[in-house]
Amino acid sequence: MALAAPLEMELQVFEEYRQKWSLKHLGEYVVIQDGRVLDQFFDSYEDAFRAGLREFGVSRNFLVKQIWITEPVYFVA
Amino acid sequence: MAPFEVHWDPFDPADPGPCLKVIVMNAYDYIEAGRAIGLEYPEPHPITALIDTGSPFTIISKTFAKNWKLVQTGARSPIRTMGGDCLCDEYSGSMSFPGSELPPIRTLRIRSADFNREPFYSCLIGRDILKNWDIRFDGRARCMTITT
Repeated sequence: MALAAPLEMELQVFEEYRQKWSLKHLGEYVVIQDGRVLDQFFDSYEDAFRAGLREFGVSRNFLVKQIWITEPVYFVA
Repeated sequence: MAPFEVHWDPFDPADPGPCLKVIVMNAYDYIEAGRAIGLEYPEPHPITALIDTGSPFTIISKTFAKNWKLVQTGARSPIRTMGGDCLCDEYSGSMSFPGSELPPIRTLRIRSADFNREPFYSCLIGRDILKNWDIRFDGRARCMTITT
């Protein structure tokens, strides 16, 4: 049986809600573990990460994702 | 804080660029919480990082991110480079600068990528860190000075 890629389920949850969240929370951060979404949005990655750590602890990874309508592609030179 | 000086000769094609030593590890509060329940984390050791004004964010070698057990907070984020597009995983960590008085960054989003065929450094310090610094380059002295 193939192992799921890290944060695969969390990214699926994010994609399900991306359009909805982008209406009111564009540019903010959301925190997700498995199917559970923290009921708060954050202005910075640091705040979102700390909230995830408080809520989910250190046993497993959790997704911290900034909300954009489409995924930005950054240029690295 | 004393200014931190980095030697860099941009007129020497063999010079890889302005580099300094960094220590990357999990965020301090993450390690504290992990140790409280008996988890162990590898001892950090310095790696060489390139100051890269062309990168919007900090990137470390995928190998180091995994070996140091950084907590993963993102996956498959697209970036575009001169060599083409690739997907990066994202981690949360902290970064300090041994041998300097530059203040550490307690929580930082760090992308990871392959640094294959790159013998000089295994980390890019991007503009997410540089925005906190004042950097001046003296071409005649071949010296970069960093203050905060």
